[in-house]
Parts: sequence; structure tokens; C-alpha cells
Amino acid sequence: MKRFLPLLWLVLAALAVFILVAGKTPFRISGLFLVSGLAVGALYSLGGIGLVVLYRATGVLNLANGAIGALGVMVAWQLGHWGVAPSLTWLAALVLATMVSLIFGRLIAPGLAHRDPVVKTVATLGYALVVLGITAFIWEDDVRKFSLPTDQMAAIILDLRFTVTRMIVIGTAIFIVIVIWLYLDRTRVGLQMRSLANDRQLAALIGIRIVRVETIAWGISGVIAGFTGLMFGDLVRLEPFVITFMVIPSIAAAICGKLESLVGVLVGGFTMGIIESLLTLSPTLKSIRPVAPFVIAAIALFLMQGGRPLVFARD
Amino acid sequence: MTISRQVWLGLIAFLAASISLPSIGSGQWLSILTSTSCFVIAITGVAFLYARLGMVSLGQVALMGVGGWVMLRMNHAYLLPFELNLMVAVVVTMVFGWILALPALRMRGLYLALITLMAAGGLEVIFATFRFPNGGEGFWGVMPSVAAPFRRPEIAQSDSAYLRYVITFVALGFAIIRLHLCSAPGRAWAMIRRSEAAALASGVNVTYYKAWGFGLSGALAGLAGAFLAGSLGLLDASTFRASESILLFALAVVGGVRYWYGVVIAALLLRVLPALFNNWSLDPDLALIIFGAALMHSIITAPQGIAGQLNDLLAKLRGKHD
Amino acid sequence: MKTITYYFSLVASILLALPAVAQAAPECGAKTGIKATGSPIKVGGIHGNAAPGDFSSATDAASAYFDCVNENGGINGRPIQYLVENDQWNPELAAQAAAKLIEDENVVAMVGNGSFVEMSVNAPTYKENGIMAMASACAVSECFESSNIVSTNQGPLASSIGAAMYAVEELNAQNISCIGLAIPSVGNWSCGAVESYMTSKGLTGSSVLLNPAAPDVNSGLLEAVASGADSILVNLPAGLGIAFLGAAQEQDLAAVYSWTSSTPLYDMSVPAALGEYWDGKIFVSAELTSLDGQGIDNLNWKAVMDAYADENDPRDTFSQSGYLSAKIFVETLLSMDAEQLDDRNAVSDSIKAINDKRSDLMCGPYYVGEADRHMPNHAGIVVVNKNGNFEVVRDCFEYEGPYFEPLFSTEKALGLR
Repeated sequence: MKRFLPLLWLVLAALAVFILVAGKTPFRISGLFLVSGLAVGALYSLGGIGLVVLYRATGVLNLANGAIGALGVMVAWQLGHWGVAPSLTWLAALVLATMVSLIFGRLIAPGLAHRDPVVKTVATLGYALVVLGITAFIWEDDVRKFSLPTDQMAAIILDLRFTVTRMIVIGTAIFIVIVIWLYLDRTRVGLQMRSLANDRQLAALIGIRIVRVETIAWGISGVIAGFTGLMFGDLVRLEPFVITFMVIPSIAAAICGKLESLVGVLVGGFTMGIIESLLTLSPTLKSIRPVAPFVIAAIALFLMQGGRPLVFARD
Repeated sequence: MTISRQVWLGLIAFLAASISLPSIGSGQWLSILTSTSCFVIAITGVAFLYARLGMVSLGQVALMGVGGWVMLRMNHAYLLPFELNLMVAVVVTMVFGWILALPALRMRGLYLALITLMAAGGLEVIFATFRFPNGGEGFWGVMPSVAAPFRRPEIAQSDSAYLRYVITFVALGFAIIRLHLCSAPGRAWAMIRRSEAAALASGVNVTYYKAWGFGLSGALAGLAGAFLAGSLGLLDASTFRASESILLFALAVVGGVRYWYGVVIAALLLRVLPALFNNWSLDPDLALIIFGAALMHSIITAPQGIAGQLNDLLAKLRGKHD
Repeated sequence: MKTITYYFSLVASILLALPAVAQAAPECGAKTGIKATGSPIKVGGIHGNAAPGDFSSATDAASAYFDCVNENGGINGRPIQYLVENDQWNPELAAQAAAKLIEDENVVAMVGNGSFVEMSVNAPTYKENGIMAMASACAVSECFESSNIVSTNQGPLASSIGAAMYAVEELNAQNISCIGLAIPSVGNWSCGAVESYMTSKGLTGSSVLLNPAAPDVNSGLLEAVASGADSILVNLPAGLGIAFLGAAQEQDLAAVYSWTSSTPLYDMSVPAALGEYWDGKIFVSAELTSLDGQGIDNLNWKAVMDAYADENDPRDTFSQSGYLSAKIFVETLLSMDAEQLDDRNAVSDSIKAINDKRSDLMCGPYYVGEADRHMPNHAGIVVVNKNGNFEVVRDCFEYEGPYFEPLFSTEKALGLR
């Protein structure tokens, strides 16, 4: 429990905003915004979790996650448009996303393994541009909508209709956090992944099968990216550029977890969503409420310092 | 190429550019070249920061926006000359950049990159919400109709004179960085790049010099943004999206961060290539694919970028005299 | 018996073929049928085509019309050379395009402009250079409130007021919440006018402004719900509008409020994207007349597009608008002195003199005049999405409200009222 104490500031921030902004509004109304914020925050969390999972396993912050997800959901939409059964379209999206992720992970990432994390991140940036360019080139700008059968089913929470799709997002985010935590902490492959992320050369020297472990890591990342793309396509907008650059608020959520704690990402993402949504009730701040995730991430980075200069950290 | 040879090449190029380019008869190309020159200034900031200090800034275009905003606000609020507004814009952007980056200067390079990205994302929202001043009332200075006029420098009213003015400042920007590299800050940066631990042990104030570097980068961004405002007379929020900051850094790497001609190549890719694609009616998404592939290629096989590869080519041709 | 059947079917097939024959021959310009071969008259156009939207259908239609005119005698035997630039939603490219067309190519006028950024960037340039822009696809206030730009389309303000009027008069709306973009020259401008209209009627209006890039439309929806409105006016570009209605569908709000929209949702791909849930519920205020209209101009537009435009060019409202701008422009040129056709100032003066041009594509007369604001199109129709298509539910009606007062006085001076 003690390691979750640093996350307290996020919860307190959300509470503070709630009191300041929604103090005078009846809970009947402010509750709506609270629940809505939770729904949006879940998306930020999911994106952030995808990033942190890969970072913990390979040391690469994959900025192409959004683009990969966008490609996957566009393919799913296209197949659905052509009359393919819905469950097959989702499978196709996940498989395609995994493959695209593996192409980078197997062919391009190994060449950069000895470079510092910033360079590796910039390389994923290049990949993001390529994938986005291809997606935007194939599908011309048009009005499209991607829906899932779970959109029709819903539950009423605090007077707000919460579709099953949104519940799936929250559920999957929590599920992934638990599974990955168990995987990295308790299994052999997980241990190998963590040692790989720490020092690839040494890991190879002590006999870990690098290629196999990396393939698994990038594969898992691809599946999560594909699933995130499907959710973004359904719940945000089916536009490749929008989905691709959702990676920026996802990074904000990842920062809240200091790029290592998945629970931190989860709490951070939810907090970002809730605060952004609650700010709608403030007449002065409502026009700039999309800035909330970035401000929270900046504060998280500031607090992360804790007065300890990391100059000797292996850069 | 030795240092002095580079400097000579730079001087000759500057003279050639400032004489020939403004005389291009085409209104469209004057506009394109002015915009390209503004971005050369901005990319210089990012390039030297990455090459000499290993620091990645993914928010340079957003800082350009800040510079442009201040320039426009000053222009519409008071009747001061262009040069004064320029100085205010540069200083404000520099301070703004410091405030944003100071927390991350003590951390791993990746975190500086991420915080500049967050700043870019946040500023994108602010620019999109409050737009740029165009002569209206209040702090934000926006009115919903046609913009009030912009006052260019006294000596550079026409488009071609303005281009010459901007090119002069491009050369000035390169010169300032060169001066830095040849003196104390440059030496400190080189040490920090090599090993922060060693620099600290030698008594170099690492955070101070990193901040200096970032401040200089921010100042150049402010300069570039102010000139861009002067070029168009107004600015639009869509120029300063977070994705543009990311693209700017990507192309700086592709062009080659160590050499001034690498920076020029990067600016040409950023501004001239899309204009050419437009002229040839090619899909702009193709440009994205090319840039992404070029970036990956650059990172993996050619860390010195196109400029570095040109260098190697010239060295081979010359038969390695140096 | 056989003979009667034979003659009957012969006459019937001729009668049935006649409309097809009539449709197949587009009528443009001087209608001489002779190709124009003189020195070209240069005309410019700027459109925006990149993510997030494609406004190029206006210039495509204008281009098709100009091609048709060039096949039919041109302007006194001279063809029109139409130079189109794409600003890719980038303000710098928009400024460069204007510099190219005005300074390098010396065009005498701009026709068919359609973009989100071009007008705000170039309005001062047009004024400085004394060139008129007969735009077709405008979405920002600078387009309607500058001296040198006049558009055949209505833009978000007029279209939203049309939607609000329908909501008040036909759907019993007492409190409208206008959902717009958080851009001062778009959302604030148009939703602000809706609020003034509602106040002038003794009713209530409020605005909810969404940031175009924000992924969360939910809180905007909740803001509308919390405002106590009973009718919601969606004043957003199609993609964002669909997302917003999707969020409303999630909350099952279709029956709780009456729903209207400004013109962007009048697009043939929208009913399919909305799905059955919204069938018969969204009332869209269209800025030109129905795409299926049987009027002369509408049929001619289709004929011109079929004969001279690319198959893939969309046949949407902007296309109609581009055709209309081009048609009125050509009529203006044809009425001018032949020697003055290369003089930009003379062309601009002739354009400013345009008065009382009528078409079945527009509900009211098109005019320009010497003024610092132009919005000739302020009357429209209302359609509803039904069975995967749109049905007209209210024919041409003029918009009212405080915003239009200055326009009405200009029209009185021009003798249009």
C-alpha cells in the first residue's frame, strides 16, 4: 500500500477541483460530470497502459501506438463496410495491429537497442508518421462511424447512461494492469522482459533468448494498441489523425505513472478525465479544459524530481 | 571540413542568398522562402540543443507560437517599432521556455522530451481556444472580423526587403550559436554531452548550462515566431499544433543536426517540399510517409542526417585531404 | 392491337427519353456551341483539402462550369483560365496561394473559394489588391464580414438561425442550446447570433463550445443537458457532429430533446453514419435548395457536372454553391466591355454592381454591393433525415433576427425589398 502513497496527490487534486468547481452545483448534476469524466479518463488510462507495458518490457516508448490502433480500426470499419461478420473484423484489427507492431519490434528496434531511450522514441515517431501516412492515404477524409454491439447495452450509474463499451474499457484497463503485473512479477518470461529492459547486452550474455522475449513484448503491445484503437474509434471519432495523436494525452497518463507504475497510469488517467470533465462547470476554465491532462502531467513530472538529481542515471 | 571552412562556406552562402533570393520575381516563392527562413531559425534552436547537449525539444513550434503571439499583441497594443516588439517577443519566449523546462532539466533526457511534448499539447489547446491577436480588445486581443494592419520594420516594408531582413537574422542566429560553441558555454556543453558525471566533477554547473542552452533555443523559437507573424501579418492556431512540433524535430534529425546546411535542408523539407507537392498535385499524406521513412533511416543508418551524408560524399570526392 | 402497342411504346419511349435528352445538354455562358480560342482570362480559386475535411467540391464545380463555358464561346470568344490552389488547411499555404494567384498570375477575380482558413488569412490581401472573391464554401465570420469577399453559401451563422427558427416555429422549442466550435470567428459568432435571436423572441438560448481537437464531447453534451434546454442545435462540422450525436445516442436522448442542425449535416453520407436510431429526428437547415430539386439551375448543375467534371467529384451543397458562383461570375463578365476584361479593378467594380440575380438553387436574390459585409444568402430550406435519405420539410423561408438588420437596410437601398 505504501508504494501507492505518491498517487494520493492525484486523488486529492481531483477532490480539490470537485469541491472548488462543483461545490455549489447539486450532486445530481455534478455526479453526471464525474461519471462522464471517468468514462473519458478510462480511455487516457488505456492508452497510457499500452505505452508503459511496452516501456517496461523493452525500454521503448512507442509513439506509434496510436497510429497502429488507427490502422487497425480503419481496417475493421472497412471490412465491416464490405459485409464481413463483426467479430471477424475485430480479430482482423487485432491481428493487423500485432503484425504492424512486430514489424517494428523485430526489424527496426533491434538496430537501435544500444541507443539511448530518446533516440528509440524518436524512431517510433518516424514509424508513426509512416503508418499514419499510409492510413490517411488509403482512406480519404470522409464521415465515418464505427460502432460495436456493446454500444446498445447500458447501465444507469448516477443518472448517466453508461454503455457496456465504456465498461469494457475500464474493465480491460484494470484487467491488463493486474495481468501484466502478475506476468512481469511472477513469471519467468516477465522476469526476462524486465532484465531485457534494464540492460539488453547483459541479458543476452546471461543467456536470455532476446529475440523470443522481445517478440512476445512487441506482440502484447500490438494487441493492446489494436484494442485501444478499436475503443478510440468507437468512443472518440473514427478519424486516423485524431486517433493517432491521442498518443499525446496517453503519454500524459503514462507520465502520471512515472513510466513504470501501471496503477499510477490508471489513477492518473482517471484523474485527468475527471478533472477535465468537472472543469466544464467552471465558467472561467471551461473553454480551456482540454489542457487539464497536460497540466497534470507537468505537475507529475515536477513532483517526480523529489530533489534527487538523476544525472548519473544510465541515459 | 574544418571549422573555418564551414564558416567561410556559411558567409558565402549567406551573401548569395541575401542577394539572389529576394530578387525572385514570384510573390508565392517570396512568401515560401520567408516562411522557410523563419523555420531555419527555429530548427537551429532544436538542432544545436540536440547535437551539442543531447536534449530533445518536442515543443519548438509551440514556442514559436508564443513568440508570434507576443509580437502580434505588442504590435496591436502599442505603437512601438518592429525591432522593439521583436526583442520583447524573444525575451518572453525565452522565459516561458525556462518555466516549462526547468523542472525537467535535472532528469533523464526522455523526460525533457516528454515535458516539451506536454507543453506543445497544452499550448495547442490554448492557441486553438484563444486564437492570435488581430487588433481586438482585452488581454487576448481577438475580434471576429478582418485583422488590423501589421507594422513591418521601417527598412523592410516590401516582401523582398523583409526576406532579406529575415535572412540576415538567420545568419545572426547561426553566428550567435557559433560564438557560444567557441567559448565557455560551448565547452561546458561538450563536457556535459560526454558525461554529466565528469562535468559535475570538474565543477561545471550542469543545470545552469543546460538551462542556458534551452533558453537560447527558446529565444530562437521566439524570434522565428515573431518573424512569421510579420510575414503573414496574422497567425492561425493550426500552424502551431503539437504534431508540427514533432515533425519539426523529426526533420531536424533528417537534415542533420550538427551542420548549418543540415538545418537549412530540414527547413526546405518542412516548408518547400509540401509547397512543391501542392504544385504537383501530389497527396500530402505521401509527404508524411516520406518524412517518417527518412526519419527512421536517419536514426538508424545516418545519425548525422543528410548533411552528414553530403559531408562524407564531399570528403570522398576530395580524397580526404583534411 | 400490335400496331397500337407498338406506336404506344414508341411514343412512350420518346417521351421518357426526352428528359434524358434535355438533361444531357448543359447550358453555359453564351451557349454558342463554339470553342473559345482567344487569349485566356485568368481567374483564381483556393480550396482546402486535407484532414479534417475536403472543401474542394466548390472549385471542382466552378472548374466544370468554366470548361463548359469555354466550349460555348467563352467570354466574347476568350476562354477562362481557372487556376486552383489547395491551402491544405494551412494558413501559410493559403497566404502563398493568394500571393501566387494575385501577384504572379495576375488573376482578375477569385471564384469558388472554399476553406476554413483561407478567408481569415487573405481578406486583408484581397482588400489591398482590390480583388473580389466570389466564394462558395465559407465557414468563418471573416468571409461574411469583409468588403472583398462575398459567398453563395450561408455559413454557420445564417444556417444556425434557420435551424433555430424551425425549432421555435415547428418544434415548440423554448430553450435552445447551440453546440458550436470554440473558435471565435465560427462557434462564438454563430451561436452568439442564435442566442440573440432567441432573446429577441423572448425565449432562452445558450451556447456550448467544443474544442475541435478534444476527444471528449461527453462533457459538452452534459453542459447542454445541464443548461435546461429543451432543444439542441448541432452547429458542428460533420465529423464532430456525428461524434456528438453518438454521445447523445449513448445517453438515449433522441426523444428527450428536439434536434436541429446547421448545414454541415446535409451530406449524403450522414444518414448512413447516423443509423436507424436518428431516423426522422434530425432537422437540418440546408443552405441551398435540395440536391434533388427539379429547377432549371439544379438540373443544369447536374448536367454540367456529368459532362465536364470528374466522376469522383462530390455532388454536394458546396458543389451547387461553386456552380452558382461561377455562373453568376460568367454572367457578370459577359455584361462587361470586352476591353476591360483584363482590368482587375473593372472586374471588381462589375462584381460589386451585381444585383438581384435569382436562381432556383438559392432561396433569395444574390447581390454584392459596395459594403463592408456581404451575406446575400440568408434564406433556406429545412430537411429531415429519413430512410437513408433527406426529405424537404420546409421550403424556402427567410431568416429573421437582429444580425440581419444591417443587411436588410443594404437590400432596401439596392431596391431588393
